[in-house]
Amino acid sequence: MRIEKKERSGIINPIFTCQPAGAQYVSIGVEDCIGIVHGGQGCVMFVRLLFAQHFKENFLLASSSLHEDTAVLGATHRIEEAVDVLLMRYPEVKVVPIISTCSTEIIGDDVEGVIRKLENGLLKEKYADREVHLISISTPSFKGSMVSGYDIAVRDFVREFATKKEPNEKINLITGWVNPGDVTALKHLLMEMNVDANVLFETESFDSPLMPKGDAVSYGGTTIKDLESTGDAIGTIVLNRYEGKLAADFLETEFEIPSIIGPTPIGIRNTDAFLNNLKKMTGKPIPEPLVRERGVAIDALTDLVHMFFADKKVAIFGNPDLVIGLAEFCIDLEMKPVLLLLGDDNVNYSKDPRIKEFEEKVEFEMEIIENADLWDLEERIKNGDVELDLIIGHSKGRFIAIDNDIPMLRVGFPVYDRAGYYRHPIVGYAGATWLADEMANVLFTDMEYKKNKEWILNVW
Amino acid sequence: MPYHTFKCSKCIPERTRHAVIKGHGEDITSCLPLGYLNTIPGSISERGCAFCGAKHVIGTPMKDVIHLCHGPVGCTYDTWQTKRYISDNDNFQFKYTFATDMKEKHIVFGSEKLLKESIIEAFKAFPEIKRMAIYQTCASALIGDDMDAVAQEVMNEMPDVDIFVCNSPGFAGPSQSGGHHKINIAWVNQKVGTVEPKITSDYVINYVGEYNIQGDQEVMADYFKRMGIQVLSTFTGNGSYDDLRSMHKADLNVLECARSAEYICNELRVRYGTPRMDIDGFGFKPLSESLLKVGLFFGLEDKAQKIIEEETARWKPELDWYARRLKGVKVCLWPGGSKLWHWANVIHEEMGVEVVSLYTKFGHQGDMEKGIARCGEGALAIDDPNELEGIEAMMELQPDVIFTGVRPGEVAKKLRVQYLNAHAYHNGPYKGYEGWVRFARDIYNAVYSPIHQLSGLDISKDEIDMNTGFVTKNIISDAKIDKEASITNNEREYTGKYDCVTHLRDKTY
Repeated sequence: MRIEKKERSGIINPIFTCQPAGAQYVSIGVEDCIGIVHGGQGCVMFVRLLFAQHFKENFLLASSSLHEDTAVLGATHRIEEAVDVLLMRYPEVKVVPIISTCSTEIIGDDVEGVIRKLENGLLKEKYADREVHLISISTPSFKGSMVSGYDIAVRDFVREFATKKEPNEKINLITGWVNPGDVTALKHLLMEMNVDANVLFETESFDSPLMPKGDAVSYGGTTIKDLESTGDAIGTIVLNRYEGKLAADFLETEFEIPSIIGPTPIGIRNTDAFLNNLKKMTGKPIPEPLVRERGVAIDALTDLVHMFFADKKVAIFGNPDLVIGLAEFCIDLEMKPVLLLLGDDNVNYSKDPRIKEFEEKVEFEMEIIENADLWDLEERIKNGDVELDLIIGHSKGRFIAIDNDIPMLRVGFPVYDRAGYYRHPIVGYAGATWLADEMANVLFTDMEYKKNKEWILNVW
Repeated sequence: MPYHTFKCSKCIPERTRHAVIKGHGEDITSCLPLGYLNTIPGSISERGCAFCGAKHVIGTPMKDVIHLCHGPVGCTYDTWQTKRYISDNDNFQFKYTFATDMKEKHIVFGSEKLLKESIIEAFKAFPEIKRMAIYQTCASALIGDDMDAVAQEVMNEMPDVDIFVCNSPGFAGPSQSGGHHKINIAWVNQKVGTVEPKITSDYVINYVGEYNIQGDQEVMADYFKRMGIQVLSTFTGNGSYDDLRSMHKADLNVLECARSAEYICNELRVRYGTPRMDIDGFGFKPLSESLLKVGLFFGLEDKAQKIIEEETARWKPELDWYARRLKGVKVCLWPGGSKLWHWANVIHEEMGVEVVSLYTKFGHQGDMEKGIARCGEGALAIDDPNELEGIEAMMELQPDVIFTGVRPGEVAKKLRVQYLNAHAYHNGPYKGYEGWVRFARDIYNAVYSPIHQLSGLDISKDEIDMNTGFVTKNIISDAKIDKEASITNNEREYTGKYDCVTHLRDKTY
């Protein structure tokens, strides 16, 4: 196995967007919360569009609307105005994260200073009877990526609210950047295990209905109370190392709440480990219904693996925990994940124990590219450096699949060129089944389209 | 003054003069909202930034160009694959996007070296592409990188390439409109006059302010070519970089979207004496008048007339089929720029729909002048609407359908208002005669959707109809029309194909 870095300085077709997008994703997961992105209007408008493309829903985020004068002279007064306008017009709003961007970090706006000023001034004078929390979230776009922005924002929300009151029996479950369907699957596992949890974040309600009265909206369901009680939990489980570990570390240091990092519960083995971690943390046994549920999944996988999946070469790109989790699952499915692309310059990826494990145990040619872009993938395909049977990744890579006639399963964020994927889980036993079914269906469609042994399905 | 105050905006007095209702007998002298002012922070406006106005709206539709953003990766990523500006070179311009990926060390120490490396790498990755546009962002503007110098340095070292520099950071203006202006002027300053084109006709135009959304440009260029006119360049949809460098050699600038591209037409008139002619490709009458106008300019009115007659005969019965069924349908006309006035009157005249509201998020007062002058009485006109105002307007006006963007469309969906994508279209193109029928067809499909009919039923309270069974769109729409008249009039539903554009690429003239 080789670990490499992108050799070019610039990016051709990025895998990730920048930090503020990650913070915005966290912000929409919290009830009665509207984030203000402190920067140019595009930093919000396009991220909202990205969410709308992925979920086919609208989410609320505001901008401090940086214009030319403020970019030169400082823009902290724009935050003051934005907070006031937002609070006046959205009486239910209690939480307002102020999310910084590249421009406002470069001009050096003191967001924490403004928040103190607002807390001692505006909030006391005008909103004395109202619960309002302003949170400074520093996410300069020139550091990390949307992945680290997510990590930072989860920590900052937890840090703002977590308090130690009465110890409870709950655990904190930090899901990472997942879909509503994943949250449903995770909550199902928690329920079967009879474990009560603060789920960060409750995004099931993102998939909101169209109601007869026309009064539905999409919003996250994590409450201030949930966030507060993270300080009283018996432990924290972080499913995605790069999307929640900062918060777990904070809770461990501040409140001595033990944490377990990973694994991302993609596939049978990782779901087993997740349940075992729940058992370890709560002392509760894994119940019989989950044995059966696991059996249903294994039954489905057994139908597919040797006949269709064995030795298929796969490339995977996207958020690092997602890519690693999918690669591990692919190996269990007898496939060969030959190329993994991780799209930012986080230096910790190569020290990740899971990547070390690939290094030690994988016997086939496997290449991991850090700080990768999609050109790293496309160039290898075009030059014949890699032959692929399947690509797994998000919609921004769609033309690689289309132009090179390689079947592709859409997984991750954003997925806007397939219908309804956000409501399906990829985690847990249900997620394992769905992923395997979809991989198979994508391969089958490709066989038929190319007339490549399409007749094999006659007797399956 | 007939200013309209939204309940949700009473607490922000700055908003009071941004919305008006056109009252009985009133014209723009008595009702014109303020426009193009700084956005109110925290109001949840729909506006984008000046970077996207330059790069995303006008720059990237240029097809044979590497589009490279100098800044952190988000500006590039977020504006990539969110529009439908196609091209006849397999969509190179939206398949590939390029960024310098500026990091903290570059902010501190400067990133001109990074820019130069990224430029060279990009050309190396696509050796067949010799043209590039580089775009400034907030970050590169604030640290003060000299992008012009870097571009010149590369051009000196690589004589076969040409690079255009667009300095339009996100904060440069109240909205994307600031970026439209900046890139117009930058192009005419840097590039026009640097290539001498091959002139193949006595009648030569630049087609300006046209972005080839779902093929609009190709449909319109087909008409021009059938008239014997050479379309020297298109600014910028499906446009070629070198063609656009030779804009100075056209006899006429034919301008479609005056909001985003009148600046370059005005500059070309001043610098090269090329006249500007504003046209309109939307709607049978405006389009026919436009073709005639261009024809008259060159003495080609016979040819224009022939096209008008052929196309009208072919498509009018289909437009009429929809118009009969769309009569009285209430519409919120909430697009971005020029469609505000291009559509305000003609959708009423030719499709019978009632425009109950119009808005612009980045338009100027001049755009509202044109829009309000053309819309009917009682229409609510809003400048820079914000989320709550949009919702309040829809609740009050109860439109059947709104024409807007993807995300505001989702807001409408929840209110049980059907939405059509006014920026990227549902199933366009919408320009041209056939395109206009496609637009009418899309509106019809939205309004008479059986699922939409079902969405209002509360199964816990309302009676569930067990007798009717399924209903087709026609059953719903034809219940209220004179069906006999429709048949006598030989009206028919749309008969075109799913893709009505690609075949034009193989056409010879």
